[in-house]
Amino acid sequence: MGGLAVEIRGISKRYDQHVAVRELSLEVPTGTVYGLLGPNGAGKTSTIRMILNVILPDTGAITILGRPNTDQSILDRVGYLPEERGLYKKMKVRDVLRFLAELKGIGAKDANKRIDEWLERLSLKTAERDWGNAKVDELSRGMQQKAQFIGTLLHDPDLVILDEPFSGLDPINAQALKDTVVDLKRRGKTVIFSTHLMDNAERLCDSVCIIARGEKVLDGTVAGVKAEHAGRYVAVACDNANEPAVQAVMRDGTLVRNVDDQNTFFELEMVPGADPQRLLTRLVEAHATVRRFELVQPSLHRIFLEKVGATGVEPGMTGHG
Amino acid sequence: MGKLWAVIRREYLERVRSKWFLIGTFLGPVFMLVITVLPVWLATRTKATAGLTNIQVLDATQSPIGARVVAKLGALPIEGGGGTTPKLMVVSAAELGNAEVVATKAVMAKEIKGYLVLSGVAPADVKVRYAGRNASTVNDMQLLRDAVRTSVLAMRLEGAGLDPARISELTSVRVPMEEEVLDDRGRGGGGSGKGSLIVGYLVSFLLYMMIALYGQNILRGVMEEKSTRVAEVVVASVRPDVLLAGKVIGAGAVGITQQLIWIMSGVLIFTQRAALTKAFGIADLPFSLPTIGAGFLAVTLLYYIFGFLFYASLFAAVGAMVSNQEDAQQASMPVTVILILSVIFMQPLLLAPNGNMARIMTLVPSASPVLMPLRMSMVDVPAWEIALSLVLLAGACAVSVYLSARVYRVGLLMYGKKPSVAELIRWIRYAG
Repeated sequence: MGGLAVEIRGISKRYDQHVAVRELSLEVPTGTVYGLLGPNGAGKTSTIRMILNVILPDTGAITILGRPNTDQSILDRVGYLPEERGLYKKMKVRDVLRFLAELKGIGAKDANKRIDEWLERLSLKTAERDWGNAKVDELSRGMQQKAQFIGTLLHDPDLVILDEPFSGLDPINAQALKDTVVDLKRRGKTVIFSTHLMDNAERLCDSVCIIARGEKVLDGTVAGVKAEHAGRYVAVACDNANEPAVQAVMRDGTLVRNVDDQNTFFELEMVPGADPQRLLTRLVEAHATVRRFELVQPSLHRIFLEKVGATGVEPGMTGHG
Repeated sequence: MGKLWAVIRREYLERVRSKWFLIGTFLGPVFMLVITVLPVWLATRTKATAGLTNIQVLDATQSPIGARVVAKLGALPIEGGGGTTPKLMVVSAAELGNAEVVATKAVMAKEIKGYLVLSGVAPADVKVRYAGRNASTVNDMQLLRDAVRTSVLAMRLEGAGLDPARISELTSVRVPMEEEVLDDRGRGGGGSGKGSLIVGYLVSFLLYMMIALYGQNILRGVMEEKSTRVAEVVVASVRPDVLLAGKVIGAGAVGITQQLIWIMSGVLIFTQRAALTKAFGIADLPFSLPTIGAGFLAVTLLYYIFGFLFYASLFAAVGAMVSNQEDAQQASMPVTVILILSVIFMQPLLLAPNGNMARIMTLVPSASPVLMPLRMSMVDVPAWEIALSLVLLAGACAVSVYLSARVYRVGLLMYGKKPSVAELIRWIRYAG
C-alpha cells in the first residue's frame, strides 16, 4: 500500500454567477474509504467531476494513482457511480454492462464472464430468471440500481468514486452497498464517496473531508477529527430537566455554547476553555437528578453541524456542480 | 480507438435492431417497386369502358367519317370484355337538331350512354361535340378524341392520294423517344438524360432524407442520454468529443446501410424491370439504367459525408443543449430551417441550373450537399466551382464540429432550462 490514490492541489471552479469550488486541496491515501461530506450545493459533485476529468478546473491540478487525471488511461482504473443514475432504457442489461466495460478497455469476452459473475452475486441471475437478458426498463428500480452498481465495478477499478450512493437506495440495497464498500477496502481498493448522511460516513469512512460553499472546512481521519473535538462535548441524562433552574444551567452562555436538547438526554458543547467539572457542580446545585454525565467524543453529525452550521448551505445551488 | 469503436458499435447495433429501422428499410424498396411499376401499369390500363361503345354517332358531314369513327370505337379493347358497336346515324344538317333531341331522350331513357355529333365539312373542318352521361370519364373521352382524330387524319391522307390499306398501318405508329445528354466529352457520357437527372434527384433526396431522419435521430439519442443521465457515466470513461464522434459515425453508418439496401434493391428492381413488368402482365417502356461516372460518384460521396457531418454535429449539439422534447423542437428549428431552405432552392435550380441563384446556392455549405449533385446531373459544373464548394463545405464542417463539441461537452452535464444565446457563447468559451 502507501501512496495517494487521489491528490488534489488547489483546484477552483467558477461558474457564471458563483464559485463552485474554491482553492480545494485534499489527499486520499490508497486503500482507504474516504468521505466527502457537505451540505447540498457545497461543491461535492463538482469536485468529483473534476477528479474524473469530466469538467476541468479553472486552476489547480489533480493526480490519480500518481498520474495526472488528464491521462485518459488512468481513468480506466476508476469506477464512477453518479448521483443521478441512469442506463440506456431500451438496451438489454447485459449489452449495457458490456458497453460500459468496453469503455473501460475490457474486451467483450472477459466482460461477459465478469457480467455473469456479478449478476449472480447480486442475484439478478437466478435459476428462474436471468435479468441480464431483460431490457433495462423491464427491471424494477432496485434492480436497476444493482445493474448500475455492477457497471461501476465491472472493470475491477482501483479507485471507486460514489456520488451520494445511498440516496434512493432501499435498506437491502443500502446494506449490499455497505458490504461491497467494506469488501473493496479489504481488497486494497480506494473508495471515495460523497454524502450528506453523517451516520453512514461515520461508520464507513477512514477519513473524511467536510466542504461547504466550495471550501474545505476540515479533513483528516475520522478518529483524528473526533479526537480533536473531544473534551468539549458532554452527554447528560437528567430526569427533571424541565425544571427552570436546571434549564438555566443548560443554557448558561458562559459555560455552554450549544445544546442538542432531546428532552431527557442532552448533548452539550462547552464554550472553549470552560470546565465540564464546573457544569456538573452547577447542575447538582440546581438539584438536577443526574443519571449520566459523561465527556464524550462528538458524533460526526455534531462536528458537521458545528463546523458548517446553518450558514454553510447556500440555497439553490445543487445539481449544478 | 477501442472506445470510439465501442461507441460506434453501440450506436449502430441499437439502431439497426430497432423496429423502425427494419420497417423503414424494407418498406423503402416496396415503395420503390410501387412507384416503378405503378405508372407503367396505369399507363397500360387505358382500356375503354363498355359505356363508350354504347353511344350514338350523329354524322351530319355527308362523309364516311362517321363510319370510320364507329369502326374504330368498335375495335377498342373493352375493360372486362363486352361492349357493342356504336350506332351510326347519318343525318342532314337540317335534321341534326331534331336528331339531337331524340338522342337526348334516349340518353335520359338509359337506352344509350351518350351521342357524338360530327358536323361541318369533313375532313377539312370537322366540328365535334359529345354529350352523354359519361362525358366526364377522362380516359373514355381521350379515346373518343383519338378515334375522331385518327379518322380525320386517315381521310386527309386518303385525300392526298395515299393507299387506304397503308393508312392504318402508318397512323398507328408509336414513337418512343430516347433522350441523351451530350456534354464536353461528347456522346456516351451520361446515359439517358432522364436517367441521370433521376440519379441527381435521388442523391439529393436520399441525402436530405438521411440528414433529416438521422440528424433528428441523433438529437433524440443525445437528449435521451442526457435525460437518463447515462451521459455522465459515459463521459467519465470517454472524452465527450470521442462520444460525439462515435454517435455521429454510428448513426451515419446506419443511414448508409439503409440507403445501400435501398439503392441495391433499387438497382435490382431497375435491371429486373422487364421481367417484373412482364410478371404484372404489362409492357415495358424503353428506359435505360443510367451509367454513373466515377468522378460524379466520388464527388457525391464527399458531399454526402461532409453534409451529414455538418448537420449531424449541429443536431447533436442541440440535443445536448436541451432537456425535454419541447425545447428540442424549438432549439432545432434554426438547423431544420437551413436544411429545408436547401430543398426549397431545388426548384429554381431545376429551372436554371447555370443561373446565378444555382451557382451561389451550390457554394453555400448548408445547401451545397443537397443541391450540387442535382446540378451536376443536369449540367457540366466547372471543376473550380465544385472544388470551391467542397472546400467551403469542409471548412464549415470543421467549424460546426468544433463548436458542437464545445457545446456538447458542457451541455451534457447542464440540466434545467435551455440556454440563451449568450449562455451558449459562454459555454463555447469555457476552458476545455
